[in-house]
Amino acid sequence: MTQRSATVQGLLWTAPWWLGFLLFLAIPMGFSLYISFCDYPLLQRPVFVGADNYRELARDPVFYKVVGNTFIYAALAIPAGTVVAVLLAVLLNRKARGQAIFRACIFVPTIVPLVAVGVVWMWMLSPEAGLVNQAIRPVGQLVLPAAQALDNATDGAQWSQPILGVAQDLADGPAWLDRPGWAMLALVLISLWLIGSPVVIYLAGLQDIPTTLYEAAQLDGASRVRRFWHVTLPGLSPVILFNVIVGIIVTWQIFALPYVMWRSRSGPEDATYFYTMYLFDNAFKYLKMGYASAMAWVQLLIILALTALVFWASRRTVHYRGA
Amino acid sequence: MTTRTTLLVVLLGLPAVVLLALGPRGQRHVPADRTVVRYWEKWAGVEALAMQRIVDRFNETIGAEQNIWVEYCVVSNVDQRMLIATAGGDPPDVAGLFDHIVPQYADRDALMGLDDLVAEFQIDLDAFKPIWLEIGRYDGKLYALPSTPYTIALYYNHRLFREAGLDPDRPPRTTAELNDYATRLTRYETGEDGRRKIVQLGFTTSPGMLGWWHWIWPNFFGGRLWDGERSAIDTPAGHAAAEWIHQRRAMLGNPEMLKFEGTTGAIEGAQNPFLSERLAMLFQGPWMSNWISKYARDLDYAVAPFPSATPDKHHAFASTDVFVIPAGSRHPREAMVFLKYMLQQDVLEELCKEHGKVSPFRTPAPDFYATHTNPFIQVFDEMAGSPDAFGYPQMPTWAQTSAELLKMHESILRGVRDPHDAVKAAQQRIDTIVDEYQRMAAKRRGD
Repeated sequence: MTQRSATVQGLLWTAPWWLGFLLFLAIPMGFSLYISFCDYPLLQRPVFVGADNYRELARDPVFYKVVGNTFIYAALAIPAGTVVAVLLAVLLNRKARGQAIFRACIFVPTIVPLVAVGVVWMWMLSPEAGLVNQAIRPVGQLVLPAAQALDNATDGAQWSQPILGVAQDLADGPAWLDRPGWAMLALVLISLWLIGSPVVIYLAGLQDIPTTLYEAAQLDGASRVRRFWHVTLPGLSPVILFNVIVGIIVTWQIFALPYVMWRSRSGPEDATYFYTMYLFDNAFKYLKMGYASAMAWVQLLIILALTALVFWASRRTVHYRGA
Repeated sequence: MTTRTTLLVVLLGLPAVVLLALGPRGQRHVPADRTVVRYWEKWAGVEALAMQRIVDRFNETIGAEQNIWVEYCVVSNVDQRMLIATAGGDPPDVAGLFDHIVPQYADRDALMGLDDLVAEFQIDLDAFKPIWLEIGRYDGKLYALPSTPYTIALYYNHRLFREAGLDPDRPPRTTAELNDYATRLTRYETGEDGRRKIVQLGFTTSPGMLGWWHWIWPNFFGGRLWDGERSAIDTPAGHAAAEWIHQRRAMLGNPEMLKFEGTTGAIEGAQNPFLSERLAMLFQGPWMSNWISKYARDLDYAVAPFPSATPDKHHAFASTDVFVIPAGSRHPREAMVFLKYMLQQDVLEELCKEHGKVSPFRTPAPDFYATHTNPFIQVFDEMAGSPDAFGYPQMPTWAQTSAELLKMHESILRGVRDPHDAVKAAQQRIDTIVDEYQRMAAKRRGD
């Protein structure tokens, strides 16, 4: 077989991938880059407007709001998700009766369609009858007297007011879907319920840590906590890095849950209006495809920048075996 | 292959084969030589069944005579899907949209003008109340025909009126009276922790309990949000409406109202506080009676036109689902045959009754009110004939404007902004949106 025919054959065999890549990714991305410099309402021809869409983005207060909301959500959901997922994985890694059932319980929520998740959680978070508030109210009623005492002791100082407010909300049962702060927390809470995929990846990572390291640490007299801190976490660090980067990408694309859970879509005072939702609205509600494309490219740049930042920040804390 | 694997393959594979062989087919049988008219509609459930019955009747009668077959297809987010299908060169022949989308889609060349087709098919538009045709017009051209129209009125609870010492046969007639009634119908309780909370609310403009009309209030003070060229939010009517909302909430206790609104269920379904008699008055459409008969059969209530700022005016919000023919439809004439059938009074009123809506005709059929599921349908119907009736602002930028007005409304409700500042800020933001749209439109025209 000549080099030329080998190349042709190779290209033919790989055609399903590169044709798909070209048709469904590269060309659409190229087109979206072009129309991000156009006014394009979908049914009328694109009109070139230079960098107008990007300039408008820089002036758009809603853009800043959705960027802020998405950052806050990512800043809450990723660390909370990482901590909970690692701890769950460590627990699920222990030999115990019913281990498979516990693992299944953690993973099953991730295969529930997001629309169903949204509807179920709307009920769970219902202020009056929701299960979450049924559980929280007794805690709130315990905390409230302490918060009131603090407020009295400080003569109603300004800084004690938010504490009292939160304690009162907890005692009554928070209006999760109707208050800006609680609405964001509701989404973070749901994200923790949907934590099955990273837990499975952490489980695989845990099984990859050599038992000899634990044995050596034990011989050196390391306690369980120190073994977790000095063996488990460093051993898991490449997996944590991977999950954090996936988390950045996923949180920056949050869409379906807030879209389903709030009638106004954007939530109370726009508290749950996220980047991809505004992008979708611009594309399909306002018919500003050029503007939406500009947003998509800015989103890509933000995710790339955050990923680069995480890589840079992790260069001393991630330990690769054999490296 | 082990026995276990074989068993698994058979267990999983057999149902798949049976489903493939005997399962449902997406395409129903279309008789030979019929032109298929694809009709996309948003209605599902019982509303879709009602429409399907009419479509079937058309296919058996006029359709059979003229070799047309209408294929009814329930499509969620029909407006967006219709737009994408149109952009892709394969739109449906008829689509059922919400009226507020018409100006935007007409301005973006997504809809076919219907004036010539209506004239060619001799559809008698004079039979309809003018408001329903006005809603379908944009820039002087007809783009949409009414399907199932509605107005929004004030539902009020007779029992709670009596308990508050109000005459149940005399609903409020002005917005000032509405405030007074709402105050008298609001009841509080003090909890063990000494905090006051609302247990029964007179009236609220909270979007959570209203549904879709957060933007509407200046209209009851004589304002209209769009004059054809400019938006008009920062007007005396706009400020009066904002002040009305703010004052009423301040009077009743805004924190208590927010708490009540935040902890009460959504309007659709059994959690609706009007159904559980925790809300005395509610701004809703004629379909509310369906929820009442389903969830609160014994509720003692009545319906009245929503009050305006002054008793001499009868501002009434009117809106309708509409039929449109998308630009690029392959069978616009056949679609028009179907629409002509739909617009016959007996056919359309049958649909409106099943959907719990008003009649779009100037003179409804003699038995329309008597056989309607809503016992107060005549009130709704007469409101559409008011000279002060109004529809959605016919702005091509309505979707974006509406989002801004929701922000304004919420900032007033939550007390995070002075109401007058909120009105001014909304006007500025909407002006920017409209200016930007017009600038781009001018660029597109090559001005």
